[in-house]
Amino acid sequence: MEMLLMGVVMALFGVAVSAGLFAAATSDVRAMEALPALEPVVETAPSQFFAPATVPMARPIVSVDVLLLQIERHVRMEQAAAESFMAMPTAEMLHMRTASPLVH
Amino acid sequence: MQQAELLDGLSPRDAEQLLAIGTKVTLPRGTVLFELGSPADSVYIVTQSRLSLTLPMIVRGREENVLIEERQTGQALGWSALIPPHRFTLTAAAPFGAEVLRIPREALAAHLTERPEVGYIVMRNVAEIVGQRLQVFQAMWLREMQRVVELSAAREESA
Repeated sequence: MEMLLMGVVMALFGVAVSAGLFAAATSDVRAMEALPALEPVVETAPSQFFAPATVPMARPIVSVDVLLLQIERHVRMEQAAAESFMAMPTAEMLHMRTASPLVH
Repeated sequence: MQQAELLDGLSPRDAEQLLAIGTKVTLPRGTVLFELGSPADSVYIVTQSRLSLTLPMIVRGREENVLIEERQTGQALGWSALIPPHRFTLTAAAPFGAEVLRIPREALAAHLTERPEVGYIVMRNVAEIVGQRLQVFQAMWLREMQRVVELSAAREESA
């Protein structure tokens, strides 16, 4: 019984340490998330003879600046995840998901 | 400044002597400190603010410098100056303005050759910086590979 309880306590401690490390590593990212989001620029299809001029294209295209910000955010999140893995090297930490907009 | 990662483990006196080799350089907002491929003749320690390290990437047909890493106060950059072929492998810029201590390679090499015990500690710190970067990027590369494998599997399923 004692062994079981000790095992449970150790497991909970491990989870708490992992969560703490990941939270610390992603604090910069959360600060960035607090910034006002940039609106994606939707490009419209070129006007055609029988088509209305303002029909949006099937897929919205974000501007290069927004895309660059998304890449930057992705890199920061991936780096934070990689640093968390280094602090606690397990397969779960290595493949921990982030909220990066580029992979969702 | 004596808490800089490059000086970790040095006595205050040794750290002070090493710092005395360098000169402070103020970088106004947007300054590029060094460019990818340029000759690496100095090592730098960030003394104020932060520097961004970037690599070029083609985004929508245009070459853009994409952030790879940031170096903050106390951290070193430009270790390519210590390792042949002495060419920078990233571009460093100060997007918000910064101040760095510039330590010329030749002066640093002469100083460390004269004091091998200091040289050993400094090179051990350099090895730690490089090793840490390697491990972080190894993990980042594997995470991207995992996504490539998942995308490839999803594509096969949908085909």
